[in-house]
Amino acid sequence: MNIAKYPFAILSAALFTVMLITPISSISNLIWLASADMPVGFITWIEVILFDFQRLGIALYAVVIIGFGIAFSVAGLISRYSSYSGKYLFAVAGAVAIGMALFLMVELLFLTYLLGGDRSIIGKILHCVAGFLGGYFFYSLVSVERSYTFIIRFLGVLYAYLILGSLLEWIFTPVNAAANFGFVLNDLSSAAQNALLRDFTSFFLAIFLFAIIGVVTLNPAWFFSASIIFIGAAIFNLVAIYIHGTEYNQIFITEFILGGWPAILGLIIILKKDKTKK
Amino acid sequence: MKTKVILSILFFSSTVLSGYKFETILDDLDDAWSIVFLSEDKVLYTEMPGKLKIASLSDKTITNINNVPSVQYGGQGGLSEVVLDPDFKSNNMIYFSYSAKDKNGKSTLFLSSAELRENSLINTKVLFEAKAPRRSPVHLAAKIAFLKDGTILLASGDGFDHREQAQTLDNHFGKIIRINKDGSVPSDNPFINTKNALPEIYSYGHRNMQGLVVTSSGDIYEHEHGPRGGDEMNFVEPALNYGWPAITYGIDYSGAVISPFTEKEGMEQPLLHWTPSIAPSDMIYYEGSVYPELKNSFLVTALVSKDVKKVTFKDKVDNQESLFSELDIRLRNIQASPNGIIYLLTDGPKGKLIKVLPSE
Repeated sequence: MNIAKYPFAILSAALFTVMLITPISSISNLIWLASADMPVGFITWIEVILFDFQRLGIALYAVVIIGFGIAFSVAGLISRYSSYSGKYLFAVAGAVAIGMALFLMVELLFLTYLLGGDRSIIGKILHCVAGFLGGYFFYSLVSVERSYTFIIRFLGVLYAYLILGSLLEWIFTPVNAAANFGFVLNDLSSAAQNALLRDFTSFFLAIFLFAIIGVVTLNPAWFFSASIIFIGAAIFNLVAIYIHGTEYNQIFITEFILGGWPAILGLIIILKKDKTKK
Repeated sequence: MKTKVILSILFFSSTVLSGYKFETILDDLDDAWSIVFLSEDKVLYTEMPGKLKIASLSDKTITNINNVPSVQYGGQGGLSEVVLDPDFKSNNMIYFSYSAKDKNGKSTLFLSSAELRENSLINTKVLFEAKAPRRSPVHLAAKIAFLKDGTILLASGDGFDHREQAQTLDNHFGKIIRINKDGSVPSDNPFINTKNALPEIYSYGHRNMQGLVVTSSGDIYEHEHGPRGGDEMNFVEPALNYGWPAITYGIDYSGAVISPFTEKEGMEQPLLHWTPSIAPSDMIYYEGSVYPELKNSFLVTALVSKDVKKVTFKDKVDNQESLFSELDIRLRNIQASPNGIIYLLTDGPKGKLIKVLPSE
């Protein structure tokens, strides 16, 4: 567990930092939209912040992981071979990693600012503060012994994070969500649209909530519940293709993967509990 | 045509009209961006690094034009569009757009005129320098078209980092500009008497316009790159706001929301939008007779979908077809020769000029 602790701590700290970073761009954008007399209401704020956390966040996640991987390794070496150590060393390393990542993103991408929130001084400072807090969080994760549940929880959160994208699409932009599934929503009858909207939204909402509750409670039943829904979708996808004669749709592969992921988490919890009992 | 009807095109049919032959006329073109026909046999074309050249299509000889102003090449900038004066036969005047540094060292869009005499530019004059300074030459747009009254339209892009400024009139980011051939401002420009507005502005709220066409009836159409999704084709009228970035059908390259809004009163809807993006790169309105099936349709080249979209309108978008996709190459520019033969310019280094002929 000690060896696995560090990479999972980086992955967790990176996800935590992404959660702090993405609203900076969202909020700066929302403030501009409001200033341009656009009808920015509470629902708009929620929609934009959640969408950005999911879609922009996924893009940034890899960047932050790489940055933190390098920064925390260097911080670890400094901590080992100098008198500098402790949580603030890693916090500063996190801030430097984010600052450097922002700088390189601009310099390497035609000198343009891909992140709206990075275009102002205050935005840059807030990004570095997020990196600082990310480094602090990393230190708090590695400074104490962790059990296997840490990894289970991380993988459960990551799973819910991925599902969140589809859930948001079905809630806020169902036309785009339908397009991702290969059909044009507006071409369907009103009744069909209604059925698909409620069913798809419930489908992803249920899986998202089951995963989150599983992370909180570590009760494997919640992970299995999420798994049953997705594996059911995969099985009935095959039934639709081979029994009801619909067009071949290879999404069943993804459905099996997304069904297998929480099932494995649930099984690990059961196995570990059995071991502990023995 | 003024009925604005939105068509959300999420998936295009991959219809390919057969019956065309392709002949590579020129190759090894260095980032060629724009072509214009001097005659049925001769084309004047730009290469982004700053070269202006004349090519003979029959013997394939290429002649460099001298005295071309230096440009800032890089990113999406360089020597861009070239067009002929409507009275070119009598005055030999050409107009060209390019990116260069302003007096503060920032990159911006320029429009110049010059006489083309004996393979040289003479009497070159900067007609317009966009008040749109940016750190690097991106999102310049740079398309040029002549209105029927002899004034010039110039597309000035949003500069990427300055997208919000497309909504304000005190700058040239995300605007279509209208000026006279001598660089002066026409007295009937829509914002000429508007306080704090730059007088050259004709329409605003644009992004990165890559197609600008004035039809023989005088109607103005443009298309522009959206970010991820939301490429648009618009019917342009003076003083109107086309919405970018307050309304859009696209999301940012990073995945972030640019705006959750797609419409607002006082902002124009596109005639159509392409989502996912096709990256439209140029456009003509074909009025020739060599290809009867293409007559009176817009032909839009595309970088991402690597084809030409044939777009026709009545009261709504009534047809789109994919042409020439068998070439499977990023297309930068399209022109019809004086006799109506279509030529395609491919994108990037090692570019080609391809002649399209009916198979019969």
